[in-house]
Formats: sequence, structure tokens, C-alpha cells
Amino acid sequence: MRVVRRFGVSLLMIWMVMTITFFMIRLMPGNPIMDAYLSLLQQGVPSQEAMAQIHVLYDVYPNQSVLTQYVLYVWHLLHGNFGTSIVYAGRPVLPLILASAPWTLMLVSIGITISFFIGLFLGVLIALNRNTWFDNVMSQIASIFHGIPNYVTGFIFLYFFTVMLPWFPFGNIYGNTVTPGLNFPFIASVAYHSVLPIAAYVFGAFGTWTLSTKSAAVAVLGDDFIQADKIRGLTPGQQLDHLIHNSVLPLFTGFVLSLGMMFGGAVFIEETFTIPGLGYLIAQSTSQRDYPVMQGCFLLLSSAVILANFLADMLYSRIDPRIRV
Amino acid sequence: MILAASTASRQSRSSSLARIFLSRPIRVIGLAIIALYLFMAIFGPVIFPPSTALVANPAKVYQGPSWADPLGTDFQGVSVLAEIVLGARGVLMVGVGAAFFIVVVGVAVGLIAGFTGGIVDAILMRITDVFIAIPQFPLLLLVATILNASSPGLIILMLGLTTWGGLARAIRSQVLSLRERDFVEAARGLGLGTGTIALRVILPNMLSYVAMNFLVSITGAIYAEVGLLFLGVTPFTPDNWGVMLHEADSVAGALYTRKSVFYVISPLMAILLLQAGIIFILGGLDEVFNPRLRKTGATQ
Amino acid sequence: MNEIALSVRNLTIEFPSESGRIRAVDQVNLNLERGKIMGLIGESGCGKSTVAFALLNSVPSPGIIVEGTIEYTGYGNLLKMTPEEQRLFRWQHVSVVFQASQNTLNPLKRIEDQIRELAQAHRIRDVRVLLERARSLCESLRLDTRRVLNSYPHQLSGGMKQRVGIMLALLLQPEIVLFDEPTTALDSLSQESVLQIIREIHQKDGLTGIFITHDLGIVSEIADTVAVMYAGRIVEISPTARVFSGPLHPYSQALLDALPRLTGDPRAARGLPGSPPKVVGNVSACLFRDRCPRRMPVCDLAAPELKRVDESSMAACFLYSESEEANVHVKMH
Repeated sequence: MRVVRRFGVSLLMIWMVMTITFFMIRLMPGNPIMDAYLSLLQQGVPSQEAMAQIHVLYDVYPNQSVLTQYVLYVWHLLHGNFGTSIVYAGRPVLPLILASAPWTLMLVSIGITISFFIGLFLGVLIALNRNTWFDNVMSQIASIFHGIPNYVTGFIFLYFFTVMLPWFPFGNIYGNTVTPGLNFPFIASVAYHSVLPIAAYVFGAFGTWTLSTKSAAVAVLGDDFIQADKIRGLTPGQQLDHLIHNSVLPLFTGFVLSLGMMFGGAVFIEETFTIPGLGYLIAQSTSQRDYPVMQGCFLLLSSAVILANFLADMLYSRIDPRIRV
Repeated sequence: MILAASTASRQSRSSSLARIFLSRPIRVIGLAIIALYLFMAIFGPVIFPPSTALVANPAKVYQGPSWADPLGTDFQGVSVLAEIVLGARGVLMVGVGAAFFIVVVGVAVGLIAGFTGGIVDAILMRITDVFIAIPQFPLLLLVATILNASSPGLIILMLGLTTWGGLARAIRSQVLSLRERDFVEAARGLGLGTGTIALRVILPNMLSYVAMNFLVSITGAIYAEVGLLFLGVTPFTPDNWGVMLHEADSVAGALYTRKSVFYVISPLMAILLLQAGIIFILGGLDEVFNPRLRKTGATQ
Repeated sequence: MNEIALSVRNLTIEFPSESGRIRAVDQVNLNLERGKIMGLIGESGCGKSTVAFALLNSVPSPGIIVEGTIEYTGYGNLLKMTPEEQRLFRWQHVSVVFQASQNTLNPLKRIEDQIRELAQAHRIRDVRVLLERARSLCESLRLDTRRVLNSYPHQLSGGMKQRVGIMLALLLQPEIVLFDEPTTALDSLSQESVLQIIREIHQKDGLTGIFITHDLGIVSEIADTVAVMYAGRIVEISPTARVFSGPLHPYSQALLDALPRLTGDPRAARGLPGSPPKVVGNVSACLFRDRCPRRMPVCDLAAPELKRVDESSMAACFLYSESEEANVHVKMH
């Protein structure tokens, strides 16, 4: 019952995001559709013709009421029609997104996993050595990296390891001599090209995990049962296991949420390394004002985050016996 | 007693708090960094008059550090140091402005929701939830593209509008827990009105939290602003670290030559150093505001 | 005198702090006889729980044992064992029933799994035997065996968790059990039933133990002898009956006076004004003198040592050492 209710709320939120986006684009000053229509008229295109062109591009007629446009938009969305791209010569948005998504998913999920485990390791280590020089130094470092945006780490890795020291290839996700498919040269090339972007992601993200793990582990270390474990003669390994298990739980929600965020989590990195993933698609469509693509990507990102929220809620009760009903 | 401590004890307290704050050298370094950035923001145009400092000089493209140009020159032969110093004002202004906006809106919404409860609370929190659920940077991209914003005021507004949700929710939950505390009960017992309690009893108790959020929001807003310029979404202002990155990435061919190292690294270091400065003083503020964190030996 | 199971000599424990190293436990000497329960009593903060943790060499950080030996008969000085030997010694030979057992169980593991972990930690091959013992203990503790073993800690009530704590403490059949205020966190009904259980085990199996509490009333129900602690020192060790009929130390008397009586006028109960001092460094006067109704000039001049007063009792008070008093006077003049 709770599941159904929470799922309903999630769907409602997705609908709200969709609606807000729609009206934001249509009603804000600088409405791109009206702009495009007016500029066509200014170029001397007859209004009937201009109207048809706009329809092809945006799937709406400028003279329709906003409400009609909205209903049509929702109707099309429900049929999997996200509109057509302006920049990519009328290609439908959905396949465009689906073609970009795998690269992002691969890079970011590997990045999240590595940074999560580094953060877990460092966080527990810091908590165990509280108020030592290690704590002081590592906590400051983690705090600085916690806030650092991806473009800083991305740029530094890119510049140092492709320009200063040309160890890694520059740009794209595989070399132009390999044929995409399930063959070894292709996979090796992808792996080679992925090292820097993943490293950049990890450096931008591990600080956050380190800090959260540290505060969770410090709290658990203050719990009576950790002291009791020692008195009961449990092995150091068992004690560490209890510490980690109890410290990981508060991180779980954040972890699932970051998986939800990952569709949009790599805009800067993909832009810096020119990797043809979702982030790159977003950056390109934004700088070229390709509204249908932007809107589609944005809807996808928001839905992923909202659904991840829902998923985190549902799964948490499975991993923490105290929440079980 | 409940509302304010006496002035005398407050003064002696503030000097001892200053000692606690400065008890670690790293916080002095943090303050020095912040002071450096404020200095750049205030006096930058005096040291490097933009009319002369930012003029292209084809004879000096991508030069290394020298006495005249300590950080070398960029792809147009402009001094990188001048660009960094002149960029500070705009970057800081937007950062501080956006952080101020976030704090004001976040605190207001959180206080109102936490204190009125009921239907107002429910509506405010639904709206907050949506703003939290929407990935912040992509939303910012979308809004920035639509508004095509170049004026600092508009950028501040955008940054603020897309970011206040998290703070609002945190403030609300703090209000909810503070409301149950004894001293708030006592204030209520004295017959103080809800508004008075909210502003004069609850708010001072959250001031430390709000202050620290303000500082963190500054860095967040700066990253977002520089990021927007880096992606080339908002129209150019000539002197901004983000513009330097954008040009390094897409215009200047800086990423194909080793000679550009100072040009590429300088804006990144400017961002990293500011972040470090704020982090260094945050730890000190934390200790000043939360006496429990101070280093005292445990009693039995 | 019976066989000694545990003997503590000159135990001194300090906690570093800004105002110096606070001496939480100062030169404590104890002998625990096999088959007997000793009550360790004192105000909160007097160091009694710290003593208990020290008996397992687990003084909470930043406390340090600066001096002393903890001699378990047949096993030697605990403080001289290797860390691994100490780990295996804990719980197999001496276990603890904690003050708040509800917080001493890992919240993420079922009770049965926690028993399995104990078996693994203490290299017990046959888990089934241990689980069987757990079941029979549960039964004698009046716990619903199947339910309890399959439960997570949060699914049990406070009283049940405390009994689970007792079950775990007895599981490996240790020679000595330390009860660290095991009833303080319970309501009076569960309190009575837990005490009843401990008494039964004591009588049936001849349990050896130390029962730490601030409640003299509970001690009277359970202990054979009572050690009274004040400001990190033991001020009196006497048979329980004596503590209640005519304690030696003025502090013991004050504790007794503070006890509400069922018979007689409840207003007769008198509290003890003031609080014990925090001790930094060596002590050169009786620490109780400021609160003592029988203060003498000598109390300002030296700290009384724990001395045998008669066959059954010891006390640290100048009331019982005339010669010492004379000595101090001689030194002064």
C-alpha cells in the first residue's frame, strides 16, 4: 500500500516537472518557439509556410493556445514521441537520447562505484584515527574535493595527461581506427579512452563519500555496541565488519540517489573530454538552443532522480531491519 | 535572559571565540586567502585598468611567466594574472549575491513552513520537494538558456531560484526540533507571539547553521556560474574565469599546446584556492559555534 | 577464607583533560572470592564503572591504566597478556552484563547471528552446542526462546534485551560475571525480575561476580560483601549485613542514611549535601572531609589508606587508625 502511494507521488512529481518545464519554455520571456516563428516571418517566409516549418520543428502551431499545445505535448509524450531535434536535422529526440545514454551510464556508474569505495575506505580510516594528523589532513582534503566541480578535475586531468604528458588519447570515447562492436580492439580502445574521464569523476566525487562515511562512522563508533563488541572478545575483523555495516546504511540513500543523478552527472566531464554521452548532448543542445532535445533530456534526468528517490525509499527498508514493517 | 546575553559577557565571549577560531594556523591561512580574494575583487580594476590590461597583443601569445606577466599570457597575449584578478569581482559578486538569495529564501520558507504547519507547511514542502528533486545544474542550464541571461542580477536570481530547496527543508526540520525545546517553551510561557519566537528565539539559535550554509552556498554558486560560462550558455562577459575555461576548451586551441599551461591552470587554481580558503575557515566556525567540538579531555 | 578468584592491586586509572590528568581510580585493591558476589557501590562518577572496564582492560578512551595488576587466579595478570590472549580471555573467563544492554547489541543482526559471531570469535567449533545452551539459558531466563533468537534487537522490549544481555554474558560459562548497573535502565517490575534471575543463578551455580550499582537497596538483595567507592578510592569493604547494621566509614553511613526505609518515617531519610571532588595528581588529605560529619584535624593532613579494621572488614578512615593519627602528629611537630 505504501509502495503504491509512494509510486503515485513519484509519478505526480514527474508530471509536475514536465509541466513546469513546458510552461517555462513557452511562457518565459524569450519564448524560443515564438522567436523562431517571428524570425521566419522577418526573413520573409509567408506566415502559412512559417507555421508549417515551426510545426515540423516543434510539433506545435504557434497560433494554437498554450493549453492546446500542452495537451498535445503530453499526448505525444505518452506515445513515446519526445519531438524532433532542431540541430540534428529533424532526428527524433528519443533515439538520440537512447544512443547517448550508454556511454554516460558506463562512465558514471564506474565512477560512482570507485569513488564510493574509496570514500568508504577513507571515511572509516579517518573515523578510526579521529583527531590525529591523518584526520586533520584527510578531512581538509576531502572537504576541498567535496565541493570541487567536475570541470576542475576534468580540465586538470585532460591537460596534464594528454597535453603535458601525452599518455592518454584526447577526445571521444574510442579511437577512429577501431570498429564499434564486440571486438577486443574496440573494447580496449574504449577502456583506454575512459581512464581519464573516470579518474576525473572519481576525484570530483570521492570527497563527498569520504565526509559522509566519516560522520556516519564517527557516530557508530560512539555507540555502546561497538565498545561491547570489544568486551565480548569479538575479533578485530568482526568489529570492523560491524562498524562498516552500520556506517554504510546512512550512505545507502545517497548512493542510490547518485545513481539517479548519473544521467546528468557528467555534463562537464563529457564536455571536457568530448565524449558523446548524455551530458555532451545536453551541453550541445543547450549551447545551440535545441529545445526539444533539452526538454527531453531534462525530463529524463528529473524522472531518473525522482524514481531513484522512490527506489531508495523502498530498498532502504530491505537493508535496515529496523525499518521493516 | 532568554532573548539575549548581556553585552559585557558577550564582548569577553567574542574575544575568547576569536582565540578559539585562530587556534589553528590553517584558519589564519583561510582568512588570508579570503582577504586576498576580497582585495582582488575591490582593487582589481585599480591595479589592472581593464582598458589597458585586457588589450590583445599578438606579439606575446602564450608566453611563460615573466616579471611583467607573472602567470604568463593567453592566446591573445593578454596577461593571465590580470584576467584572474579582474575576474574575481564578477565571480565573487554573483557568488555572494546568490548565496544571500538562497539563505534568505531558504530560511524564510523553512521558518514559515516549520512554524505555521498544517496546509501552508504541506504546500510549501511539496514545492520544495519538486525543487530538490529536479537536478539542479540541468535546471539551471535550461533556465539560463531560455532567459539568455547576461546581467549579474539575473544570474544571481537564476542561481538562487534553483538552489534554495535544500536549505529550506533543513531549516524546517531544525525549527520542528527546536520548537520542542525547553527554552522555546519558556518563551511561549512568557507570552511571546509566534513571530517574535521565530525571529528572536529560534532564528538566533540557527544562526551558526545559516552562516555556514551561506559560505558553502557561495562556493556552490561560483561553481555553477563558472560552469555556465564554461559551457558557453550565458553570454560572455570578457573577464571571468569561466570564460577563460570556455575559450581554452573551444576557442584558443590551448588544449593542443604545452605552452598554455599557465593559462589553463590559473583559473582552475583560482577556484580551488577559494574553495580551500572557505573550507579552512568553515572548520573554525564549526568549532566556535559548536562548543562540543572543542578539544577538551573527557571527564569520567 | 575461600579461594580468591580475582585480585586487583594498586589499580590506578587516569583521564587526560585540560586541567590535568584526572584520577578516576586511585590505588584500588580488591579480592573477589570464588562463589561470592561483591557489591561495588558509590555515587555516579566515583569510578566504579571504570573499575569494571579495567577488569577487562577496556577502559574507554582516553582513560589509561597507569598502575596496577589484575590477577585472575589460574590465568595471571590480564594486563601482561598479549592482545589476542586478552581478546580470548574476555567473555570466556569474565563477562559483563551492561547497564544498557539494549544499546550493546548490534542493531543489524538477529540474536542468533550474534551468538554465531561469538562462537566464531572464541573458536567454538560446534555452534549447535552453543545455541542449545543459549536456548536452555533463555528458558531459565523466562524468555520465549524461538522468538528471541530469531529477533532483531529492536523487536525486543527493554526487559527482554536485558535478559538477552544476561544470557550472552553466561553463554560461554565464564568464571566471573560483572554486573554494571544491570537494572538501572529498567522499570521497577523488570528490575525485580532481573534481580530475581541473578539471585537464582548465583544460588544454583555458585556464580562469582561483582555487582556495580549506586543503589544500596539492590546491593542488600544480592551481594555477600560490599565495597564502597568514593572519588576513585575504596573507602570500605565489609560483609553486606554489617554495612546495613553498622558501617565503618562515615560515607557508608551517609549512603545508608540516604536510603528510604519501608518501615518508619520516610522523612528520616537524609540526603548527603555536596558532591565528590575531581582528583588531579596525588592526594594529601581525606577526600571526604568536606562532607564528613566526623571530620578530625588529621583528615586535612593525609589521605587515609584502606586498612583492615577487624577480621571481616576494611576501612580507609582515621577513625580506625589511632596510631596513624599519632604518626602524622609526630611528623608535623
